[in-house]
Amino acid sequence: MEVEVDEKILKAAGAELLTDGRRGLRLHGWEIESRKRSILSSSSLQEWEEKLQTSHLPEMIFGESCLVLKHIGSGTKIHFNAFDALAGWKKEGLPPVEVPAAAKWKFRSKPSQQVILDYDYTFTTPYFGSEVTEIDPDKHGSGEVSEISSGLHWEDTEEKLDLVALALKEPILFYDEVVLYEDELADNGVSLLSVKVRVMPSYWFLLLQFWLRVDGVLMRLRDTRMHCVFDKNADPVIIRERCWRESTFQALSAKGYPTDSASYADPSIISQRLPVIMHKTEKLRISSNL
Amino acid sequence: MEITRNRIWLHSKNLEKQGRAAKIEVPLFFHSTTPSPLWETSEIQADLGLNRRRRGSGLGEMSDLDRQIEQLKKCEPLKESEVKALCLKAMEILVEESNVQRVDAPVTICGDIHGQFYDMKELFKVGGDCPKTNYLFLGDFVDRGFYSVETFLLLLALKVRYPDRITLIRGNHESRQITQVYGFYDECLRKYGSVNVWRYCTDIFDYLSLSALIENKIFSVHGGLSPAITTLDQIRTIDRKQEVPHDGAMCDLLWSDPEDIVDGWGLSPRGAGFLFGGSVVSTFNHANNIDYICRAHQLVMEGYKWMFNNQIVTVWSAPNYCYRCGNVAAILELDENLNKQFRVFDAAPQESRGTPAKKPAPDYFL
Repeated sequence: MEVEVDEKILKAAGAELLTDGRRGLRLHGWEIESRKRSILSSSSLQEWEEKLQTSHLPEMIFGESCLVLKHIGSGTKIHFNAFDALAGWKKEGLPPVEVPAAAKWKFRSKPSQQVILDYDYTFTTPYFGSEVTEIDPDKHGSGEVSEISSGLHWEDTEEKLDLVALALKEPILFYDEVVLYEDELADNGVSLLSVKVRVMPSYWFLLLQFWLRVDGVLMRLRDTRMHCVFDKNADPVIIRERCWRESTFQALSAKGYPTDSASYADPSIISQRLPVIMHKTEKLRISSNL
Repeated sequence: MEITRNRIWLHSKNLEKQGRAAKIEVPLFFHSTTPSPLWETSEIQADLGLNRRRRGSGLGEMSDLDRQIEQLKKCEPLKESEVKALCLKAMEILVEESNVQRVDAPVTICGDIHGQFYDMKELFKVGGDCPKTNYLFLGDFVDRGFYSVETFLLLLALKVRYPDRITLIRGNHESRQITQVYGFYDECLRKYGSVNVWRYCTDIFDYLSLSALIENKIFSVHGGLSPAITTLDQIRTIDRKQEVPHDGAMCDLLWSDPEDIVDGWGLSPRGAGFLFGGSVVSTFNHANNIDYICRAHQLVMEGYKWMFNNQIVTVWSAPNYCYRCGNVAAILELDENLNKQFRVFDAAPQESRGTPAKKPAPDYFL
C-alpha cells in the first residue's frame, strides 16, 4: 500500500487489505486492486503492434498495469487497462492534429522524399473502461473461472454525481493512481491516460482521464467518473459520468486566457476553461443473483 | 576577437538578421538589463585571458573547482555566483569546440539523463569516474527529473575541470523554449528564487557542440540525420551559437528519429523532426566513411537498440525514466580499438536517494 492507513479505521470500515504483495482491499462485497508495472518491453511492444495492427504506439505503455473493481457476489468486474484503451484509439481513428511547425516542414522537404504518417499520434481514446462478468467456478462445477463479456446494462439517467457526498472528508482507506499510457508527443505536449481511485468507508470513486495537450494547437480532456455508494440493504448502483472537453489554443487566446503551454501543465486546474463537447450520465444496477 | 560592450546574447532571429557574423560574442546573459560589473567587457577580456593561462595550473582555482565538484556529487547545488563563474569558464572551453567535435577512444557514450541525478551516479559507478573514464554525453541533461540543476552543473564542472576527458553535446532539451515547459526553468526558480541560473545555463546551451566523431568512425548526435545534411562538413558550417531553431539542419540533428517503416525521409504529422529510414543511414554512413551512428533521444526499455543492420544504435541512460517506467538504462563503452560493450544498469536504489520515493499523495479528487 502506498498509504499507511490506520488499521483501526480499516477494521471499523469493515475493510481488509489484500495480501501477498497485492495492492488494494476488500470491503462491502467489493475487491478493489491496482497493479503498477513497468512499460512494455520491445518484444511485447511488437506483439501489441501486431495485435492492434499499427506500427505506432505511445512511447510509454504500462501494459501490465491496471485497476480492477470486482463485485464478488455477482462476478461483475470493472477494469481499466491500456490495451482496450488503445483498441479504442485505433477504432476511433481521428485524423492527425497538425502542429504549426508541420506545415513549414512539408514545404521544406521535397515531395518525392516525404512520407506523411497519417495516424492519430495523439492517441486520443473514447475508452471509458472495460467490463466482464466472471462466473464463479464453484457454482458451475467447471473448475475454471469463465467470463461472459459485458452482459451489463447501463441505462441513461438524469441523476448526477453526488458532489456533496464526494466532498465529505471521510478517511481514505485506499488510494492509487495508475498510468495506463503516456506519450510526450516528441516534446510537443503530452498525451496521458490514467486512472485514479479512492475508497472511503461509505463509497468508492474513480476518475479515468485522458489528457492531451498539443502545444500551441489544442487540448482535450476526456473524463470518466464512477461512483458507487455502499448500501448493505440494496444491490450496488454505479453512477458513471462521461465528460469530454476540448479547446484550441486559439480559442483560449480569444477568450483572453494565456496560451503558453506552461500554464496548462495540470488539467485539474484548467479544465473549466475548456468547453464541454460531450456529457453523458449512466447508471448500472448490479444484481447479485445471476 | 571583437567584443561588444553590453551585447545581450541574441535570439536566433536577430542573429540571422545580422548575417550571422562569425565574430565571437560574449554573452551578457540573456535578458539581463543591468549587467553586474563582472560582465563588463574589459573584465571579461581580462578574465578570459587569465583563465586561459591558468587552466590546468592555477592551484587555487582548481581546488575551488574540485570543491565544487565534490559538493555537486553530493547533489548540493552551487551558489548563484558560482554558477555564473562556472558558466563563464565553460563558455570559454565550449566556444573552441567544433560542431563535429573530435573524440578519441577509449570513450564511454551516454544517452539522455533528464535530471535523474542519483541514476547518473549509478552510471558513473558502472562506467567509472571521470577522468579515469572518458565520457561522451549525447545531451538531454535537464528536464523531467528532480535534479536538472545538479545534474547539468556537475557535468559542466567536470567539463571545465577535465575538458579533454568529457564531451557534452546538445540535446533538444538544452533549449530555452523546451526547458520552460518541461521542468528545468521551474526547478531553477524553485531552488534559487530567481531565473538567473536558468539564464546562465541556457546561455551555455547555445555553446554546446552539435555532434561528435569518434576516431573518424562513429558519428554521435542526439537525435539523428537531416535531409539538409549529406556530409559532416555541412554540419561544421552551421552557426550553432543560438537557441535551437524550429527547423533546419541544426533542429533536425537534435530532433529526428530513425523509423523502421520509412524508407527515405518521413514526416511525422506532429512535425517534430524528420523520420529517416535505413537507406538514408546507409547513404550517410557510406558518404562519410563511418561505421555506424550512435544517438539517444528515444526511450528504449532495454537501454539500447540497434536498427538497420547495426548501422545506427540508440543509447538511453535514464533508468526508470520519470521514476516510473521501470526501464533499464545503458551506456556504450568503446575501447581503444573501438570494440563495443554495452553496460546495462538499473535505477539507484531507493535508500541511496536524497528524497523519499515519489508516492502519490492521496487526494480528494473529484
